[in-house]
Amino acid sequence: MVNRKSSEQIKEEILSCLNECPLSIEQIRLKVDSNWSTVNSHLDELARSGKVKELLSNDKAKIYQKILGDTYFDIPITEEERKKFKTLFSLILQEYKLQGKLPKRTCFAKCAVQVIKDESSGLSDLPTIWYLYGMIPQMIADPSLEYFEEVPLKNKQKIKEIIIEFIKNEPESTKKLNQNQHKKYGEELYIVADEIFTVLSKKEWNNSELIELLNKFFIACPIDFDFPEIFDLTEKVFSLIEKLDLLGEKLCEHRKEILLTFDSLWKFIALYKLYQSKIKCKNPMNKEHLLKFYLGNFIESRKTTLKENIAELNTTYLNNLSKFDANKIKLPDEVKEIRKIMEDWSGD
Amino acid sequence: MEKDNFLDTNVIFSYSNYHEQFKDDLPPIVGKCYNFISNKRGRFIVCFAALEELQEIIIKRARIHKIVLDKIQDPNIDFENNSFLSKRDIPRVKKIYEKFKGYKIEVVVNYFKLERRLSELVIQKFLENMTDERVVPIEQIETVIINEINDIITNRADCKILASALQIQKSRDLFIFVTADGKDLSPDIYNSLKEHFEINHKKEGHIFPELLNLMFTD
Repeated sequence: MVNRKSSEQIKEEILSCLNECPLSIEQIRLKVDSNWSTVNSHLDELARSGKVKELLSNDKAKIYQKILGDTYFDIPITEEERKKFKTLFSLILQEYKLQGKLPKRTCFAKCAVQVIKDESSGLSDLPTIWYLYGMIPQMIADPSLEYFEEVPLKNKQKIKEIIIEFIKNEPESTKKLNQNQHKKYGEELYIVADEIFTVLSKKEWNNSELIELLNKFFIACPIDFDFPEIFDLTEKVFSLIEKLDLLGEKLCEHRKEILLTFDSLWKFIALYKLYQSKIKCKNPMNKEHLLKFYLGNFIESRKTTLKENIAELNTTYLNNLSKFDANKIKLPDEVKEIRKIMEDWSGD
Repeated sequence: MEKDNFLDTNVIFSYSNYHEQFKDDLPPIVGKCYNFISNKRGRFIVCFAALEELQEIIIKRARIHKIVLDKIQDPNIDFENNSFLSKRDIPRVKKIYEKFKGYKIEVVVNYFKLERRLSELVIQKFLENMTDERVVPIEQIETVIINEINDIITNRADCKILASALQIQKSRDLFIFVTADGKDLSPDIYNSLKEHFEINHKKEGHIFPELLNLMFTD
């Protein structure tokens, strides 16, 4: 006798086979052992209830992705990891409650990272990513949600101790918390970005304060053949700011344009850092999948925003160009030597 | 009446390397390009392919500077396997590295930056104030002409610029194609190209601008 699968069973199987990565209807059909039109109609239902979404791949085949909603950019984690994350989040919230507090979102995430990165917690297999404000758990830590202990954790007592220690030493501001983490892990790009944002948030500053930090950022900036635009766009932004400086402009008078442009540059770079976290971790993700299904569209849209801001800053630069007189700028002999070495270089 | 001048990328780039402070100690081609541009006679025409190439050169130079800075920080970095560097870049990159490897990185980054920014400012000011016309948007360059030029000249960017010149030369008085490329656009190669078009593409009726190669002038 043939046991026919119920509609609910098929939907569950579909969702389960989409756990690892998005798939085409044909791929799903083979995995759940069902026909194309049944799978297609179930996918339609799942899409209507917000559990999957249709992506369009390059070859125009219908590709479906599971909507997780609880991880950054819907990048998948395993069910076991999800349960461990939820258990850890639950323990953190319990400790905060015991102290009569509710953590801010960033503190919550950073506390989870502190536990994960402490080998004695036994949770070092949980995935973390570098993003806008530093290292965070790949599962979104939301202090307004209720979490339960879904799996027994072997080192629960040790984990609690780490959490208590974290709460005890937690700085007043989240900004400071982020800065401390960046310094702890020696992430120079984040450290300098923090300093740049600090300068740009002040009403007054000297050009040299910002220019020195841009130099540091340039030194720390990655130059990656797979992602040349990270370096290229950084150089474009810095070039405009530094040329305004050479033109004798008071940079703090252009604070708004500079801040907007640097902020959009940082958002673009942060996505790259996230990408790097996922391809250079213990269980690296497939680069093409990561870009095609999860990050590609976001990277493109951030690049567009950044280019719009660069265009604004460029207008400011062009408006000041008439002040330029090359001979007023004194050059050290070293510049002459660089030019001599590069004398017949034309980029071919 | 002076003929118009259609400028190749390298003329503008070499011009940007001129500085009064070093005028007696500059490579001859830099001085020639500077003199040609600052003693402007006739209109200056720049095509979009040249503008695009200029942007590429500017970013390539920045990448070279960055790669040298990275090597100063970490001497284990290998220039030979760096995908950003061409074989022709490597000897120059090595020379720059050798020159600056003993310097503090905070100092070197400033030298490199000053070198780039000054040249970029000169280029921008030239484009804003001295260029009379920008011609042939990239998407309007005829691929057929690019490919025909490519039979003789291997550098694709050069082919695009020359194709742009040939396209607009058809409907204008004879102008001068000004270059500082002593290799791909030497007078001999330019003549071979003219012959190649005369023999193989006569029907298309292309007229070649007059060549002024500053590498071959006194």
